[in-house]
Amino acid sequence: MEHIKTIKTGNLCESAKNGGCGECQTSCQSACKTSCGIANQQCENNNK
Amino acid sequence: MVHQYKLNGYNIVLDICSGGVHVVDDITYDIIEAFEKQTRDEVITSISSKYNEVSIDEIEECYTQVESLKSSGALFTPDTFEPMADKLKAKTAGVIKALCLHVAHTCNLNCSYCFASQGKYHGERAVMSLEVGKRALDFLVENSGSRHNLEVDFFGGEPLMNFQMIKDLVAYAREIEKKHNKKFRFTLTTNGVLIDDDVIDFANREMSNVVLSLDGRKEIHDKYRVDYAGNGSWERIVPKFQKLVDARGGKNYYMRGTFTHSNPDFLEDIKVMLDLGFNELSMEPVVCAKGDKEELTEEDFPIVCKQYEDLASLMLKKHSEGKDFTFYHYMIDLKGGPCIYKRISGCGSGTEYMAVTPWGDLYPCHQFVGEEKYKLGDIYKGVTNKEAQCEFASCNVYARPDCKDCWAKLYCSGGCAANAYHATGSVRGVYEYGCRLFRKRMECAIMVAVAKALEE
Repeated sequence: MEHIKTIKTGNLCESAKNGGCGECQTSCQSACKTSCGIANQQCENNNK
Repeated sequence: MVHQYKLNGYNIVLDICSGGVHVVDDITYDIIEAFEKQTRDEVITSISSKYNEVSIDEIEECYTQVESLKSSGALFTPDTFEPMADKLKAKTAGVIKALCLHVAHTCNLNCSYCFASQGKYHGERAVMSLEVGKRALDFLVENSGSRHNLEVDFFGGEPLMNFQMIKDLVAYAREIEKKHNKKFRFTLTTNGVLIDDDVIDFANREMSNVVLSLDGRKEIHDKYRVDYAGNGSWERIVPKFQKLVDARGGKNYYMRGTFTHSNPDFLEDIKVMLDLGFNELSMEPVVCAKGDKEELTEEDFPIVCKQYEDLASLMLKKHSEGKDFTFYHYMIDLKGGPCIYKRISGCGSGTEYMAVTPWGDLYPCHQFVGEEKYKLGDIYKGVTNKEAQCEFASCNVYARPDCKDCWAKLYCSGGCAANAYHATGSVRGVYEYGCRLFRKRMECAIMVAVAKALEE
């Protein structure tokens, strides 16, 4: 019986290898302007 | 670190440090809860006494599946990221990629909850000259290193009170971006009063995003968003926003509202926005001084949480009808979100992002404009207040002791420095009420993403 369904996600530990290019949008630059978060940002790394 | 919660019929388990998301049955949910606190035998005994209709074999199989998730690095992943905390900012030190241009420290509305005191930021009314604007863009290009995409937000006050300058400045930007191999992405944040066909044409051609301020229900909007004669602005701006959005041709926009103590039931405002034909929405909790009559209270908190839950359900309902809409805080890409460096390094205010006043002074972000001790320098001499900048450069999720044990830390990266400063007097503090709302939003956002992923 299936007890666990794992949703397909990126792996944060893996992202440490090629991450950190800094091309992504500044987190407070759009419709938040107060309740800053980074969860809804897109990765814009072209060299992944 | 693991966070688990039940919402909308889903048992969701988040493995914070790998980014893993699992949906589990009740038995597994309970096993995971006890897994790190008890031995295997203790867990199996207590689970079998709770679920006496389930065989021991079944429970043991469940336990083994949890163990194998752990050994594959998808559950109970240890937090090994702290040594990376300064690396992104160190890597990009001195690189500025975004400016918030305060092109007008003045406004044609007189909203009582305005954090910028009706656009004046506690100073004199002023508009930015084209010369200052050009120098700001030059300053950005000069300090942007190898970064290609540069973001510029036209902000105020009401930026359209300086519209000709914005048009001239964008023309200048298009000239220099080719020369320097950069791409400017502009955003305009407006209250809508001055929108006309010329603005619509320009905004839809040149602005990557427009942020349109509307608080939803007419009576809520008109309570705060009034002109200097005290007249509400809803009737005047809604048809203009509709015309602009209709003509936008699918380019990004946000209908952005603020909710306060007057409307903790803000889902009603979201519904009004939807009924008006808008479907890219954002509603933000008010930021105001402690004790302000508009401040969200402890009594408001459960009401607001209920709105977030009901909003998530509404999104799924509309999704099933093929009538999707977006809510800014529920946009989450579980597969392709930001890398770990970004997740721990904070918002970038004061380092890669700054605000520019009409006079060309630099501040860590729009929320700090007018706070003299945080004035960083100006667009002519650059950053001269290194001490203040250091304070922001050292802001990251591991620099805030209160974030250490928070499951949401890799979704928020430590939160808003301005909120922290206003709530605690320190940019490294945390605005606890905001944190609680953030955690609730994240639980709802992930639930929506999970529900959609399970459909696939």
